[in-house]
Amino acid sequence: MDSLQHALAEVNKMRRLSTAVDHVDKIIEMLSTAREQVATTLDPHTTSLTMTKLQNPIKVAFERVNEDLKEVSGAHKKLGRALDKHFPLKPLPSDHDAMAEYPDLINRAIAMHLLREGQFSVASTFIDEAQDASTHHAPYQRLDADTPDDDLDEPMDEDDPDMNASPFTTASTNQDLSSLQSQELQTKFAEMYSILQELKARNLGPAIDWARSNSDELEARGSNLEFELIKLQFVWLFKGPLVNGLPDNERNGRSGALDYARRNFSRFQGRHFAEINRLVGAMAFASNIPDSPYKQDFAIDGAFMDVASSFTREFCSLLGLSAESPLYIAATAGALALPYQMKFVEMSKAKGTEWTTANELAFETPLPERMLYHSIFVCPVAKEQTTEANPPMMIPCGHVLAKETLQRLCKGSRLKCPYCPSEGQIKDARQIIL
Amino acid sequence: MADEASKIDHKRHLLLDQPLLRLPYELLRKNFRSAHFTTEWDAAFVKNLLKDTATGSLNAKTPPEDVVKNLDVMLARMRGLKRKLTTNAEEEARLYRQLDARVAHLRELSGMHTVDDVRYESWSRQRLDRLMIDYLLRHGYNASATALANERQMQDLVDIDTFVSMSKIRTALEGGSVQEALAWCADNKKELRKLKSNLEFMLRCQQYIELLRAEQPGKTTEAIAYAKKFIVPFNETYPAEVLHIIGLLTFGPETRLPAYARYYSPDRWSQLAAIFVDAHNKLLGLPSFPLLHIALSSGLSALKTPACHGAEATASSTPGHGTSLTASVCPICSTELNELARNVPYAHHDKSHVASDLMVLPNNRVYGQARIQECAAKAGLGPNHVKDLVTGQVYPADKLKKVFIT
Ligand SMILES: [Zn+2]
Ligand SMILES: [Zn+2]
Repeated sequence: MDSLQHALAEVNKMRRLSTAVDHVDKIIEMLSTAREQVATTLDPHTTSLTMTKLQNPIKVAFERVNEDLKEVSGAHKKLGRALDKHFPLKPLPSDHDAMAEYPDLINRAIAMHLLREGQFSVASTFIDEAQDASTHHAPYQRLDADTPDDDLDEPMDEDDPDMNASPFTTASTNQDLSSLQSQELQTKFAEMYSILQELKARNLGPAIDWARSNSDELEARGSNLEFELIKLQFVWLFKGPLVNGLPDNERNGRSGALDYARRNFSRFQGRHFAEINRLVGAMAFASNIPDSPYKQDFAIDGAFMDVASSFTREFCSLLGLSAESPLYIAATAGALALPYQMKFVEMSKAKGTEWTTANELAFETPLPERMLYHSIFVCPVAKEQTTEANPPMMIPCGHVLAKETLQRLCKGSRLKCPYCPSEGQIKDARQIIL
Repeated sequence: MADEASKIDHKRHLLLDQPLLRLPYELLRKNFRSAHFTTEWDAAFVKNLLKDTATGSLNAKTPPEDVVKNLDVMLARMRGLKRKLTTNAEEEARLYRQLDARVAHLRELSGMHTVDDVRYESWSRQRLDRLMIDYLLRHGYNASATALANERQMQDLVDIDTFVSMSKIRTALEGGSVQEALAWCADNKKELRKLKSNLEFMLRCQQYIELLRAEQPGKTTEAIAYAKKFIVPFNETYPAEVLHIIGLLTFGPETRLPAYARYYSPDRWSQLAAIFVDAHNKLLGLPSFPLLHIALSSGLSALKTPACHGAEATASSTPGHGTSLTASVCPICSTELNELARNVPYAHHDKSHVASDLMVLPNNRVYGQARIQECAAKAGLGPNHVKDLVTGQVYPADKLKKVFIT
């Protein structure tokens, strides 16, 4: 990209069409001057003299314009060569658009993404526009030479049992989209955003209020969010007015923090006894926290970021949503996986084999560790992932094999583990849920 | 840390971003061709008229009054040229500005080496914004696309103008008007010929069909004249089709003959729109379907596991019922994408990816030991009990059994 930027800088120094405009202007000037001369005298002799004298300069001026255009075109060609060299065209999938059948599902995912990003007005514009389009006509249609004419208008195959069985058929998805517009989700995300804004401004109040009013659900999830927020509030007050910028009164500073701790920590004594003692004990080190064992507890920047992200996570979870935008993760994973897909497509084309879509991709698409959300078990014998039909089985020694592998390995009712000397009965193997 | 899959392969990471630079480049060329064409045309005209006028003046055939008139004609022509060139020059400046912004945007990525770089997330979010805007524009959701681009201040990174003009023509076709598309064909005649596009032929046929549909006495004659002028010239390229459609003369809109009745189908308009969009995208080097579709079908598969559409809830599939220890929820299991991912293949893995300290609970559910213990501690269970992360069942800690994954 660096070399491309250099090339672009070079090209930027070259002539542009605006130079040609200037030279056209010169021609207009010459023609106007000549016209004035002729019009004022209307004398045949001087007229023919003027016109004869005009010929060559105009010719030269047009040549100038021509040169301008040549250089402009030269600049474009230079840019084209730089693009070909430093950013050569690579093929993209073009035969089959697996997503074309589901505009409603994609619209819904986009609307949700915009809402969770806090883009409420864009989301609202989009929901209106998408609904408007779906009531008027099928908005997007793929040109497919093989499709018979009469099928072209069907955005979805209504005979597809999968689609009918799901709650996401065309009609209900449109309702879905309008439910995103009118119902609580938008209000909820708006609430989340205002709380996050306050957290960013170092105001824990609204987040604490939210956590308190949802404490039952949070507790059921085993979340410590409320305690973490209160703990941070304690530390924040402890830092005093010079750091937290709050009014310098009895509710701030060390005494304010202690008072806050008395009023709020009691509910958590049972579960977080040790930690509370620790924090209050920090009072003794008050003058020299950075060198004390409490350094970690009193580092503010990270703590605010941590509570903000666990707040987002808990808030979304209570809505039944994941904390990170699925659309964002999927698009990022797509950018990472696409090169592997294209490499495979190229190889298949070279070999003349077709890339058929089966249940499982035929090639690996390595993703970073944090993008692997489920445990993945590949049977060490069959080298295949386990599925619902062929689940992982644990044999008595603790080794795990795919069910089909197990059936192939066993002799009668006896089973010899391929990975350790132990032997057992097939009936003792248990199906596990990873 | 040493996660090989987190590395950014700069040579191959920018597949989805190719149109970002290709499109302004193509538009730059197109803009230049139009500037070049008008200049040549007007220059030839002015030079000829100037020469004729000078000669006429010299041999006294053209009186000074006519010379003035001719000079006025030349001036008008040149002023017209200046206007057109100025528009072209402005377009050129806009495209160069876009190219600068886009190369700078792509160059930001060169400074990042892994996807764990904090800057990568904001870069990738911006890419998603671009992909969404591309999707919105291709569907004709122009107001949404513009709103998002303005909100994110990324007008130079997206191609709103191009797609807005495209969707005007498409909407015109869907509404039964071919004029706009025909004008576009005239603007891009050479390139369309290179692409062997049948768009103009299809548009001409449609006009002919519409004349016949009217079924008025005068219209048939008009249709015959029209066919002679606009359809017969395509005889060399599409002999069979030309012959067939001329035959439509004898079959009115009421015909039951399927081979002819299809010409009168209102579906033809949406087909024409699709043919136009396809030609438009090919001409500008744009992928034939939205980039977001490409990213999603690839990404959904890469993320999908057999468990994502299984009946059994796992710790990663259930945000509402799980515990907060199940920090991240699988995007494929999410309400947003689960249905969309139903029909894509799942990812291929050669190796197992599991926690190293797996333990099985009496209910056959398997979790990492550290996670179970952390969960038990947070639930205030004490050291002798553990809690299932998904179902919430509590078991004595000594009922756990170690699981070995090879
Ligand atoms: Zn074993
Ligand atoms: Zn999943």
